[in-house]
Amino acid sequence: MKTRLPEHGPLETPRFWRTLDERLETPEAQRAAQDEFLPGAVPTIYDDVHGLPPQDGFSRRDFFGLVGAAAAVAATVACDRKGQGKVVPYTRRPVEVVPGVANYYASAYQEGRRVYPVLVKTREGRPILVSGNDEHPGVKGKTSPRAMADVLRLYDPDRLRAPKSGGRIIGWPEAEAQLHGALKGAREAGKPVLLITGAQASPSQKALLSGLKAVLPTLEHLAYEPASGDAAEEAARACFGQAVEVQPRLTKAKVILSLGADFLNGEDPEALAAWGAKRRLKDAQETINRLWVIEGPLTLTGTNADVRVPVAPSRLGPVAFALAKGLAGLGVPLPAGTDLSAIPAGMPPELKEATKDAGKVWSSLLKDLHHAGRNAVVLCGPQMPAEVHQAAHLLNAMLASEAVAVLAAEPLATVKELEAAAKGMAEGRYAAVVFWGVNPAYTYPRAAAWKEAVAKVAFRAWIGQVEDETSAQCQLLLPENHWLESWGDFTTASAAVLQQPTIGTLYDTRQGEDLFLGAIKALGGQAPASYHAFIQGRWQTSLPSGTSFEQALHDGLVKGEAKGVAPAFRGASVSAAAKAAMQSKAQGLELVLFPGFATFDGRHANNSWLQETPDPITKMTWDNPLSLSVQDATALGIQEGDFVSLTLEGTTLRLPAILQPGQTKGVLALALGYGRSTGGVARNVGTNAFPLMGLDPARANHRMAASLAKAGGKKELSRTQSHHRMEGRDLVRSLTMEEFAHDPQGHHHAPELVTLYEEQTFPDHKWGMVIDLAACVGCSACVVACQSENNVPVVGPEQVARGREMHWIRIDRYYEGDLENPKVVHQPMLCQHCDNAPCENVCPVNATNHSNEGLNQMAYNRCVGTRYCANNCPYKVRRFNFLEYTSYKTEPETLAYNPEVTVRPRGVMEKCSFCVQRINDVKIRAKGDGRAILDGEVTTACMAGCPADAIVFGDLKDPKSKVSQLRSASRAYRVLEELGVKPAITYLADLKNPAVEGGTHAV
Amino acid sequence: MADTNRTQMANRATALLAGPFLLGRRALSALFPPEDEAPPEQPRKDLGRGITVTPPEHAIKRRG
Amino acid sequence: MPSEAAIPAGAIPEGLLEPALTVGRVTPGSLDDQVLAFPETRPPWKWYLALCVTLTALAIGVGCIGYTFYTGIGAWGNNSPVFWAFDIINFVFWVGIGHAGTLISAILFLFRKRWRNAIARFAEAMTIFAVICAVIFPLIHVGRPWLAYWLFPYPNQRALWTNFRSPLLWDVFAVNTYFSVSAMFWYLGLIPDIASMRDRTTSKLRKPIYTVLALGWRGAATHWQHYEKAYLLLAGLATGLVLSVHSVVSFDFATSVVPGWHMTIFPPYFVAGAIFAGFAMVVMVLVVVRETMELKNLITMRHLDVMNKVILAMSCIMGYSYMMEGFTAWYSMNEYLHHGFMNIISGTYGWAGWLTISCNILIPQILWFKKARASYFWMIFVAIGVTLGMWFERFVIIVISLHQDYLPSAWRIYRPTLIDFGILLGTFGIFFTLVLLFARVLPVIATTEVKAILPDSQPSHHGDDHHV
Repeated sequence: MKTRLPEHGPLETPRFWRTLDERLETPEAQRAAQDEFLPGAVPTIYDDVHGLPPQDGFSRRDFFGLVGAAAAVAATVACDRKGQGKVVPYTRRPVEVVPGVANYYASAYQEGRRVYPVLVKTREGRPILVSGNDEHPGVKGKTSPRAMADVLRLYDPDRLRAPKSGGRIIGWPEAEAQLHGALKGAREAGKPVLLITGAQASPSQKALLSGLKAVLPTLEHLAYEPASGDAAEEAARACFGQAVEVQPRLTKAKVILSLGADFLNGEDPEALAAWGAKRRLKDAQETINRLWVIEGPLTLTGTNADVRVPVAPSRLGPVAFALAKGLAGLGVPLPAGTDLSAIPAGMPPELKEATKDAGKVWSSLLKDLHHAGRNAVVLCGPQMPAEVHQAAHLLNAMLASEAVAVLAAEPLATVKELEAAAKGMAEGRYAAVVFWGVNPAYTYPRAAAWKEAVAKVAFRAWIGQVEDETSAQCQLLLPENHWLESWGDFTTASAAVLQQPTIGTLYDTRQGEDLFLGAIKALGGQAPASYHAFIQGRWQTSLPSGTSFEQALHDGLVKGEAKGVAPAFRGASVSAAAKAAMQSKAQGLELVLFPGFATFDGRHANNSWLQETPDPITKMTWDNPLSLSVQDATALGIQEGDFVSLTLEGTTLRLPAILQPGQTKGVLALALGYGRSTGGVARNVGTNAFPLMGLDPARANHRMAASLAKAGGKKELSRTQSHHRMEGRDLVRSLTMEEFAHDPQGHHHAPELVTLYEEQTFPDHKWGMVIDLAACVGCSACVVACQSENNVPVVGPEQVARGREMHWIRIDRYYEGDLENPKVVHQPMLCQHCDNAPCENVCPVNATNHSNEGLNQMAYNRCVGTRYCANNCPYKVRRFNFLEYTSYKTEPETLAYNPEVTVRPRGVMEKCSFCVQRINDVKIRAKGDGRAILDGEVTTACMAGCPADAIVFGDLKDPKSKVSQLRSASRAYRVLEELGVKPAITYLADLKNPAVEGGTHAV
Repeated sequence: MADTNRTQMANRATALLAGPFLLGRRALSALFPPEDEAPPEQPRKDLGRGITVTPPEHAIKRRG
Repeated sequence: MPSEAAIPAGAIPEGLLEPALTVGRVTPGSLDDQVLAFPETRPPWKWYLALCVTLTALAIGVGCIGYTFYTGIGAWGNNSPVFWAFDIINFVFWVGIGHAGTLISAILFLFRKRWRNAIARFAEAMTIFAVICAVIFPLIHVGRPWLAYWLFPYPNQRALWTNFRSPLLWDVFAVNTYFSVSAMFWYLGLIPDIASMRDRTTSKLRKPIYTVLALGWRGAATHWQHYEKAYLLLAGLATGLVLSVHSVVSFDFATSVVPGWHMTIFPPYFVAGAIFAGFAMVVMVLVVVRETMELKNLITMRHLDVMNKVILAMSCIMGYSYMMEGFTAWYSMNEYLHHGFMNIISGTYGWAGWLTISCNILIPQILWFKKARASYFWMIFVAIGVTLGMWFERFVIIVISLHQDYLPSAWRIYRPTLIDFGILLGTFGIFFTLVLLFARVLPVIATTEVKAILPDSQPSHHGDDHHV
């Protein structure tokens, strides 16, 4: 642009002058004073502004201008990125859906007999997070890892989206016509119809099925739960004459004896809450409970035991009956009719092998149980043989335990009944068979025989979500709603619970109950239009006054103790069991088959979140290796990861082995629910262990005379932890009650941290966390909660094997002491949000930095991925996207994302953010209300998910906050504090209450 | 002088850059008729692929 | 040196006289004919064969890098906790190789070590090629290489700025400065020789290229005056860089909290190691050059002898450093450091630790013997050993320290993938391709500088001549 010097006004007489001419103000001098270039300095033909030669075409400025414009145009043109999609506002906004605002619905989830009242968070109509229903008096806002992860099943791309007949997609009218036709035909022919479902916990569903039975008298119904433990069912029938559900009430327990019962594995939020409450001690004067565990395989409960005695499951019966006899010797009366004459008095010999000072252990156990009396409880693992269950029932009856509730339950079909059904099918007894939410072609131990039998039934229908081994045999496939799309109701001990849909059906699916309502109508019965109406009708008649159905839906429940007479224990029933227990002889290796932590009975096998959640004990993902004791492995020359062949009654499986410290010699353990042959995620993950299940319901999950041999070859195990000892480092502190009372800090001295730099100041908040290791059992609920909340990607077994799992929180599990029965500790490890974070100063692009609220935050957009931060993190909690894990995802998988958390692309570092989106959500709401943030208002996902309340999050600036107070507790310490990184997470030392030395008496 | 030069240059540069771009775009759109440029009255063909999220019927939300 | 100059030459005993720096009769004319005419000759088939081999390696490397760009860093063996592995090992390795050139050309120049004149050009060229190999790694090892330019502090409208507290950023500056100064220094030294080649060549293709590259050099006295000043100044600048670059590279490790990295000895230890590795590489290449290019009269056994002595000296410094690492681990009573050191000598990767110690400390001790220093077999044996050993030293520092740090739960074994090896091979391909091309198109010996040290030359700026 042409510019001229501004015209000067009338010149004043210059104060300073260069030449006499200037002083005299000659016109030449005046011009010279104004001109930048003196006359003569620039040839007159030159450009008078720039003093440049005359130009005919192109100036330097023009050139640069053009280059700049060209670059800008090129950049603009290049900015059209493909496949970005469009953001379109709602043309008709659904009522209730406000973009950016989460809706919460109360609902319920059922797994086996267990019912989880839940609260479901939805965003823009999509359920994205499941947590426990905070109104429910039992679960108090907590739920299980599998319940939380089940939201992913809603968005499983493998879901069947429309009815199918003979492999062809059909419409619902045709599908229903086929079903109704078959049922009518069966009724007319008078031939039985077999219906196999999962456990019945819903009163309305029960009423519905009895309605169906009324119009279809030939209906035979089996409620089949392959992983719930047939032995428990058998024992209940023997001891109580009916099916029961044993629910621990651990708030009332001072002494807990577990006979292979893994009640702390995360499945039971009520038990975990009670456990946590008894363990989060402020000082040693508070009472603590004591957990005795006698078990074969090492369970999560065993790792948390105060005293653990490894005893093979086959020997548990004699030990348990010996306890009963011992208690009787101490004056506790035996129930009428109980005859324990088969049991020798005194300490059973099994104990002597298991532990060094067996005599002391035995006497203190007896004393503990005797003293605790009604506050003692004996729990038995469902996988244990029936006689152990009976012994446990006997012990609880003798102690008159208040810490356990034995409730009448709907009976379950054991493997024996399934066998009978298979026989019936093979004989052509049934006209039709309907499978509803079960997969016996996979779970039945003799799958080949089962399939052969099913093929003989003329009409085979399947109701379910994802095509499976069973649906492969059926002509008619009826796609079912996910539970988040369904109605239902359940009975729990402390409340009646309602299940309501949180989203309209994603596909052309229906609820199973609606199909049966249709069938009732087609068979000439009376039924309301929908299952919703059915439930509403039933509830409106039974609701307590003052409660509307809408209110019940809003709350998700109506409180009230379940009515019913507690089944009475039959003392005489155990005598035979006691004899049987004494006669059972160990032969060969014994195998315990337990439901997989991630897969349960295989129903969750297609859930990648769960498949990648490390098993709390073995830290295995994506596989079910055979656990064997270190002694047996040494004897057989088997090393970790070696393939072994496991043979039992003619069935041989080839699978990898892992050495499990703490597992009893001669015991093998194998998880069920793996080795599925269908499902995009589940297929060929692990080994199917159901063929090893027994056909004797009394010991279906506990098999004897297994043999094991090396099969050659080695598998790279997809384990998230490959080193299991603490190497003597001060990482997890563990105190006995005696140490807690006298010297909680022990020889640990707080390091003197000197710094040259000014202390950081945090003007408003300073977020911090306290994790109580005494309450933490290692159940991994926090891992799943975090995964769901923070869109943590799944990487698959190969990547886990290479140490590239992405979980923002991991549970470190260390073994201490001898391999035969080590002490085990768990430690949740997540970003410590250090104030002197070593990761922050090494990032060359400032992608990770410290907020003025003490958060160590990641700017994903800025991260170029040098990975220096992760190298420099002493806790190794940073996670790097080594590969692209997210961008190829499409609907429906992407619908599970939390829209408030960025989905990270490859090449970017990520880590725990202390759920900054939740902090900001609360901050915004508090600001809107014009108030301060309340203590406990901000919860991180892990804290909200922790059933034991081991995690406390809050503002350290507030001296009254719970987190501030816990931070100065006597058990408090910080991991690697000596490095001077100033972590924001404080751990409270683990507590153990051993019986022989160092414990306080619980009673 | 520079101003006049610039105008000429700008015109020339615009023609140089925009011409091929516009021509190329027209040629490309002739070869591959755009799908998402269709008038808004006509529903897009690939709508069926997307999953429609609908709110649940009769459900009562706790809060939101 | 006035005191020396004051002594008549005849008074110096024969044994103290510096031996001649060239062998046989070398005149300025014969030197030009020998060195400057060489690029005009047709390469032998062996050269083409060698080029084929190096180009294949280069292509493999480029392919592997392309695959990495396509899939992500996951194509490599890097994992948690070993977030850095071959990428940074190779980077440090190649930066180290580059150090010998600058040391020879700049520091020895300032110390008036005239024997460096004959080998400075080649060593400098190797520096530049090695640094080219090195800078590949910071660019490709980041998770999002298309954003690697964010490491430069350039003004931008997003108001984003780099973190000057990060040693990685210091690296960016250190390596860039090093590369640009080395390249300038090398090019400056080439100008008079290129001008000579321009004047000699009859090729229509080469003539204009040399003309442009010679920057109008006419050999005028003012040219020489400016040239020598500039050369001296750049030598001074490069001298500082020899020390600074590898010190800064060592800061990547020394300023971190990783046990085994956080050590004050790292800067001098890294510099010594770099010179060590660089000299070994120069010895290896020079032996080949002197044999295949008929330069035995200029690159004499004395050169090799002196360089072998430097290697021996550096080996001793390395030995001291290793011992200090062990001593620090013991004396500090730091359990993490102690564990890290025990890993070097007895852990899963203990073999790498012992390989490093053997190759870097034990094997070079053979060079105490004059016969070994004069034997091709032994010096190549040592040089290969040192190159291997120094690569593994970085493996020991990076992988062994990272794979087991503070929390045992996070420990994990590292295993490289084929892609890792492919990229390593590729950098050797790049390096030797450039060496081969350089040997054919540019004068491998600085003739102007060698002319100054010919026995019958006048005393010159490159130092006084004791020969009468």
